[in-house]
Formats: sequence, structure tokens, C-alpha cells
Amino acid sequence: MAAIELEGLTKKFDGFTAVDGIDLEIKRGELFALLGPNGAGKTTTISMLATLLKPTGGKAFVNGYDVVKDAEKVRHSIGIVFQDPSLDDQLTARENLDIHGRLYHMPGEKRARKIGKVLEMVDLADRADSLVKTFSGGMRRRLEIARGLMHSPEVLFLDEPTLGLDPQTRRHIWDYIRKLNEEGVTVLLTTHYMEEADELADRVVIIDRGRIVAEGTPSSLKDSVGGDVIKISCDNPEELKKAIEECGCEIADEPSLTENGIVIHARRAEELIPRIFDISNGKGIGVKSITYKEPSLEDVFLHYTGRAYREEEGSEKERMKMRMRVMGRRR
Amino acid sequence: MIRDIYAIYLREMIRLKRSRVRLVTTIVMPILWLGVIGSAFNSAFKVTMQIDFISFLTPGIMVMTMAFTGTISGITTVFDREFGFLKEMLVAPVKRESVLIGKMLGGVTQSIFQGIVILALGLLMGMKLGNSPVVAVSGMILTMFLVSMAFVSLGLAVASKMSSMEGFQMVMNFMIQPMVFLSGAFYPVSSLPGWLKWGVKINPLTYGVDAMRYFSLGVHEFSLLADFSVLGIFSLVLIVLGGYAFRRS
Repeated sequence: MAAIELEGLTKKFDGFTAVDGIDLEIKRGELFALLGPNGAGKTTTISMLATLLKPTGGKAFVNGYDVVKDAEKVRHSIGIVFQDPSLDDQLTARENLDIHGRLYHMPGEKRARKIGKVLEMVDLADRADSLVKTFSGGMRRRLEIARGLMHSPEVLFLDEPTLGLDPQTRRHIWDYIRKLNEEGVTVLLTTHYMEEADELADRVVIIDRGRIVAEGTPSSLKDSVGGDVIKISCDNPEELKKAIEECGCEIADEPSLTENGIVIHARRAEELIPRIFDISNGKGIGVKSITYKEPSLEDVFLHYTGRAYREEEGSEKERMKMRMRVMGRRR
Repeated sequence: MIRDIYAIYLREMIRLKRSRVRLVTTIVMPILWLGVIGSAFNSAFKVTMQIDFISFLTPGIMVMTMAFTGTISGITTVFDREFGFLKEMLVAPVKRESVLIGKMLGGVTQSIFQGIVILALGLLMGMKLGNSPVVAVSGMILTMFLVSMAFVSLGLAVASKMSSMEGFQMVMNFMIQPMVFLSGAFYPVSSLPGWLKWGVKINPLTYGVDAMRYFSLGVHEFSLLADFSVLGIFSLVLIVLGGYAFRRS
């Protein structure tokens, strides 16, 4: 049985289709990423899977339960970390987790044990009894992840888990996500950070305007846009080019000559580069520099949608959200 | 179900305990009302009525507090929505009704707690009970429960329709304050000019104040049955309304 199954899942708001017939199957134990720009329909999709929104068309199953008919069973078996903060900052970390455990019907002793364990996992054990309002953004996010894990869900949804966090905290959170996935939790995360999907996910779907535009492992998606680009700067480009062509190496197309070097497209640059050194050494050709660039998921996005990745709209929306939050807090 | 309600309730209680501002307001506001207004009118009042003003005013201030505190705590669900905690509750395997009831009971507990603080202050300042303390206190708690339940629900209903805290002042100024002023909390309703009399009579809060005086002082304008019928219907209507609005939001 698949952990998550979507069959033509659709959500329309008045006159606007946020999610437009998504078909998807996520296996147990997978670490799966929904990648797309802000407003692509990622959060709407997760909200439907978490039973917070009702689909207007199609079906979705989580752990085999229908998200509409068996909403309560679905809720029991999932954990979710929302994009917007959802902790009570008047409560301590422990109290937040304790209330959560109670809402998921965990008996007292098990609750206490699990609180210790999840806090340990996200390195917050020493701050267990501090009020959440004293926590930094990164600590809050870690606590939210800990809370999502309290009731040992089989599937964990993470909606933009590292949005707005500094690079170091992001690395930490990636580590936690990997760790719990290794423990067997199926993870579905949404992100608009290319490198996040690349770094973490076993499999990625790219969604844009409510539809899936590409699906595969990060490397297969990158391969699909033509492989790595190697640039060599050397003394005798023509001779080196000829030698490389004759060596029987795996290259995508004929190397092209530039002013003082060669450009080569190849599937596996990291394997080809040592060979190039061998060849140039053998022929006595001086190599000044070699650079290579992997295609990014950004290139993949561009390739499939024909558009550059849009970031601006989202950040404007984020700013507004933050402003509203500040206003609300003042009273 | 009970466990779920308790979890929601527990959180409300922890928040209440943490909120120093609310606790301080709880003490300071009644001191001002009873201490300043109560003392100022005390001597003049006794001449016309048979009881002193502190005894008369205390039940009124208690009902006023139910109305204000109840509405405010109902409205705090807006905070939960803005700060996201509501989502945490809605995604848990818990019925919407449990969330609703837990929140209502939290608001009711806070209101009644404040009411009891005011009662204690009133007694310290010379309020005389006209009934045995057991009857007075249990009757007053029952009345406070009904009144605060109604206003917490009103707050919930309003909160579900409100998208920001802006509407809050509107509700307090144009709904709750007129109700309090027309309830007889501060003056006897027996000898009022005609138009005012009608305003007082159609105000459900009047019957709450009347029931409170019935239990605390043994003084009343309407029958206890009339008081509780009006209060019961008023609470029920608002609970249904508040519950409906909350479910839809």
C-alpha cells in the first residue's frame, strides 16, 4: 500500500484553480518533495492531505484512508509542520508538546517519555521549560518538527520547513529530516528552495500553477536537461579536443572550441575530469583550469515551464503576513 | 471527547495563569468600581433604598465582568487563528465540538474566577449577604455560569466573523457597554422613566443582574423563573450561534 495516493486531486476557489488534477503516488519510507514557486499549489495540496481543506474534485488517500471520508483516521496517522508558526508562545516547549500528546490521546507516562525523546532529537532538551516566546525562529521550527513527531506518525508533512531560516539552522533541520526518514517515517515536504529538494529528496515533483510539470529523482531530472558542462582552458585546445574525442569517454555531444579552451557536455563530469587530466598529461598539454557546473533544478524548472522561477510575488506576501503578525501582537 | 476538551481547557488555564496583565486587571478594575464609585454613592443611596450601595453594586459589577471578560475571551480565538495555533487543534484527531467546548469552558472559568474575586472584595468592603453564604455563593456561581457562557459564545460568534482585532472596539462599545448600562447593574430598575424601562426590560442582562441580587441580597424585581428562563434561552441561542460560526470559520 502506498503511503500517499492522489487521483486527479483538484481544489478550486471561486473562479481560481489552485490544484488542477494532480495524480501522484508516494511509497512508504520515501522522502518526497513537492517543488514549485510560491502560489504553485503546494500548501493547498498539503492542506487537503491533512484534511484541513476539502478537495473539490478527485481523491486522496493517506495511509490508505480517504481524506474526506476517514478524516479522523487520517489525522491520527499524520504529523504536520505548518508553514506559518503554530506554537503557543505563552507556553513552554514541554507544555506545547504535552498538550499535543493529549490531543493525540497519548497516555501520561508515554507522553512524558516521548517529550524527552523528541526534544533530545532536535537539541532542545535544555530549553524544555522555557517559554516559546523566548525562542529564536530556528528553535521554534525545530520545536514544531519535534511536535509533529510526538505521536509517532507514519507520514510527516513539512510545509516549507526551512523558510526564512539562516543557512546553518537549515543544515541542522535537513539533518533531522534525514534522520527521521531513516527511522522509517514517510516524509512529504514542500519547498521552493531548489537546493533543499536536491539535498534531501529521493523523489521530486515540480508543480507549477496547480499541475505537475516534471517528476523523478533529482539526478534524473537534471540529466533530462542535458547533463554537466565542463570548461577547460589549456595551451593547445585543438590537440586536446582531438585526444578527448578519441579516448572513448562518455560525452554527450562533440566538444566545442572556444577562444582559449574547450567546452564539453557530459553526463558525469566528475568521472570525466580525471580522464582529461590523464590525457593532457600523456600528451604534455598544459591545462590552466577546469571548471564544471551541474545543471540545477532551477534549470529543470526553466526547461519544463519555459519560465524563470518567480520569487518576487511570494516575498511580498510574506512581508504582509509578517506585518499583520506584528500588528496583532502589539495589542 | 472529555480528554480532548480537557486538553484544550488545560491550555487556556496555563495561558490565564501566565497572563499577568489579565490577572492585574482582574483585581484593579473591581477595586476602582467598588472603591471609588461604590463608596461615593454609598451614603446617598442608603437614604432612598433599604440597602447600602456596596451590597447593591457588587452583584452588578460581577455581571458586568461576566459580559466583558466573557466576550474578550471568546474573541481571543481570533488570536489563535492569526497565530496559527487553531490549525494545530484542527489538524489533531479531535472533534470541532471539543475544541469549541474546551475554549468556552476556559472563558467561563476565567470569568467566574474574576466574579469571585469581586465578591470577595465586596464582602471585605462591607457587603452584606441576604441569604445563607452557601445559597448565595452557589446561586451566584450558577448565574455567572449562564451569563458568561452566553457572552463567551457571543465573543466566539463575533470572532468568527472578524478578520482582525479592529472590530473588537466596535463590539465592546456598541454592543456590550449599552447592554451593561441598560442592565440595572448600577441602579435600581423599579422607578425608571418609560423609555428607559423598556430598554432595561428587553435586555437579557437585566435578568442576570436580577438573579444575582436574588441570591446574594434576597432582593429582586422579577421572579427567579423569569430570570432563568430569559438567561437560559439567551445562553442557548448564543451558544448555538457561536458554535455554528466557529464551525464554519
